[in-house]
Amino acid sequence: MATIFEQISEMGLKQALITKADEITERITAGMNISDIRGALRGDEPRRPNPRLRPHADGFWFHIRPSFYHTEVTHIYPTFRLGWLSTFMMVWETITGILLMIFYTPSPLIAYGNMWNILSNVPLGQLMRNMHRLGAEVMVLVVALHMLRTFITGSYKKPRQFTWATGVILLTLTALLSFSGYLLPWDQLAYWALTVFLSGAEAAPAPPAFNQNVLFILQGGPALGAGGLLRWYLFHVLLLPLLLGVFFFVHYYKVILHGISLPPSREEIGEDTAKRVPKDERTYFTPDILSSELMWTALITLILTAGSLWFWDAPLESHADPVVTPLHVVAPWYLSWSQGWLKLAPKTIVVGFIPLLLVAFIVMPYFEVGKSRRYADRRLGLSVAFLFVAFMLVSNWMGTPKFRVESSPEREVSQAILPQEGPSYLRGVPYEFLVPGTYVPGQVIDGNPHLTRALGVFQRAMYRQSCTLNGNPDLPFNWYPCSEEVLDNGTVVYGNHFTDNAMPDPYAELRITQEQENMVRLTLIYEVVNPQNPEEFLILSDEAVGFRHENSLYEEECLFLNKNC
Amino acid sequence: MQVKVVIGTIAFMLTMIVLGYAALLEPSRLEHFTGAYQGRSIEQGAQIYINNCATCHGVDGTAEQCFDAAGSVIPCVGRKLNYYFLLCGDRPLRLEETRWQGTKAQFIEMTVSAGRTGTVMPAWLNTFGGPMRPDQVWNVTNFVLNWETEELCENPPPQLNWPETVEEYNTMEFTEVEPPFKAEAGDPERGAAVYEARACFSCHGYPEEPGTNAVGPWLGDIADVGATRVEGMSAQDYVYVSILHPNDFIAPDCPDGPCPSPSTMPSTFASDFALNPQDMADILAYLLGDAYEFP
Repeated sequence: MATIFEQISEMGLKQALITKADEITERITAGMNISDIRGALRGDEPRRPNPRLRPHADGFWFHIRPSFYHTEVTHIYPTFRLGWLSTFMMVWETITGILLMIFYTPSPLIAYGNMWNILSNVPLGQLMRNMHRLGAEVMVLVVALHMLRTFITGSYKKPRQFTWATGVILLTLTALLSFSGYLLPWDQLAYWALTVFLSGAEAAPAPPAFNQNVLFILQGGPALGAGGLLRWYLFHVLLLPLLLGVFFFVHYYKVILHGISLPPSREEIGEDTAKRVPKDERTYFTPDILSSELMWTALITLILTAGSLWFWDAPLESHADPVVTPLHVVAPWYLSWSQGWLKLAPKTIVVGFIPLLLVAFIVMPYFEVGKSRRYADRRLGLSVAFLFVAFMLVSNWMGTPKFRVESSPEREVSQAILPQEGPSYLRGVPYEFLVPGTYVPGQVIDGNPHLTRALGVFQRAMYRQSCTLNGNPDLPFNWYPCSEEVLDNGTVVYGNHFTDNAMPDPYAELRITQEQENMVRLTLIYEVVNPQNPEEFLILSDEAVGFRHENSLYEEECLFLNKNC
Repeated sequence: MQVKVVIGTIAFMLTMIVLGYAALLEPSRLEHFTGAYQGRSIEQGAQIYINNCATCHGVDGTAEQCFDAAGSVIPCVGRKLNYYFLLCGDRPLRLEETRWQGTKAQFIEMTVSAGRTGTVMPAWLNTFGGPMRPDQVWNVTNFVLNWETEELCENPPPQLNWPETVEEYNTMEFTEVEPPFKAEAGDPERGAAVYEARACFSCHGYPEEPGTNAVGPWLGDIADVGATRVEGMSAQDYVYVSILHPNDFIAPDCPDGPCPSPSTMPSTFASDFALNPQDMADILAYLLGDAYEFP
């Protein structure tokens, strides 16, 4: 081939540059030159032989995509783009994850500081972290919906049983990936979520010696520490992504091999759309599918970026502390159902049931061999599916702190407005509005809407945990009357409409004192006189103490939708 | 397809605008989060301080109000932390006195981590057998450093021009304090109260009971042995100088052998007693008994 200089002397500078650009474009697109691309974008008919098919023959990335799809599967229904979206999220997580890896060291001494370094010292660090964390949760959701869709449209049936089986494994791996990333910030949220998870491993229905060894491997030592963090980091960045990659490619290969299934009304069981697509129902990858995918890529990127910037914020609690268990430890929402199940059955049964359920899912298409994919013929299957979804949603709900084991009433009130972790109603009040003084629940302070709001929440929390014996003559509102129950040991417990453990005619206040020049101390004080013996206090507590520094920025955290304050 | 290309292009451009907008706000966001990191560290430190340190160093770090677990008042055996000579300036007196070469922050972190040998201050860092992780020690350090305020540092503790001997102290008039002060005869009972309040007993034990001294020399016989320590110096002058300048003379008889040099005794009494110079007379009367002379 002539060098660029020879070309220039032969055909002049302009023509030579155009020829060169054409050549380079053709190499990059593996077969399409500039005029082919313009033709494709204009919607012209391709020339013959069709240059739009050449990339599929000559380039690796296009080679793994079919050169055309059945037009029916390119519509939103029946796929809802969920499989593609799962793949997109996988790539998204890989890219943001690699960026975060640059700033992370898997050591208990450093990891938590790394998080703050990412937030306070790395340009766009918070955005990157939010993107990765939001992406992880979206990915779990998308993959789960993908599986649900596949079941509803009956796409798991012959010949796609194995594709379904790998899909179940991919869902499991996605949840594990998301969860293994949970530990890495090494904050209280991470530490205790993993501790709950590991206590499950300990309760598996297997010989105790086996469980002990599994636990030992999973936590990298007799207790969760440096070894465990390193292990979960390696699970997160090495083992699980590798497995995910392997199963992803098998899954993807099977999807291409059998084609994407048509809507149930268009395709019988055992048929396969990949081989025989009528000429008039083909949609070519170039340019239609490609431009569609680029559009979705741009749109989803925009949504996730804006979401990470303005609407959703990755939580970061205080440093992991093995000796301080926060009140009401919860699993992440996508595992909350398992916490719900623990309220229905003993731990060992629950832990044993989950793998059985997974195996049942994997083998389901080999046993469920109904002869039709049409919705009308699958009433039983679809009913079971929707009941299962409903069951999972209810289980998830039961896993939330709403169904917690109740702590003492004054602690529950403190937890509602001043929990140990997170921004919360009181810490979320801007510093200049935390004026030192003594306040009672429900107090209205002129010119201080923030504190007034927090005190309103204080009052509602008190309302849930209090009851009255004397009808509350001093209060502008009424608590529920106390119900009394005498325990075997003679102590009397009081209840109200909401709870069996309420405070009878309590007095509570919030005390704000100046601790240092730029920091206040928030103290919640509870006094409950024993109705049986007015000399003695049932509850006399000033243990709920929180501090609020003027720079600690909780009020900005409160701007995000996923923060409770 | 044209619509898709248009939507995709617009979405891409919007993403770039969003990213550009985020990048523009980034410097101020980073600054905010640097403050937040520090602020939350101080909050955590405060929590640790009130649970662990306030018993000896006082609720506000001035070693003046200390409570035991039951809430009753006890003498503060710790040093002042919310204190001019620890926090103000680049090289506060405390760093000079301990010959510390690093920064204030490192000094506090080191002291919390490793404790102070020869005092009741234990090591707190888990590496040295304490209960705390490094980040917790760092949080407490930040909390202590946060006591450094303009108000504290613009008002150094009052200084007195202490004379060199008790005789001069007894007779001269101190005009630096308001109203001018002239010593009266020391009162042993008040001296005992000062001894208790200043937590001298936490190192020297009680003069009435031999062997109660944990760190420093026992002072029950100081009226006799004080006179023998330095040639030509009376017992009362020896005690007087040792209180004001602990490093001038190192006593030979601490519980664990010879007393360490530099002395672990705080050198802040010259400034502490300036608030009420009569304390000096009272404590001399308490410790020295008949060896204390007032004209």
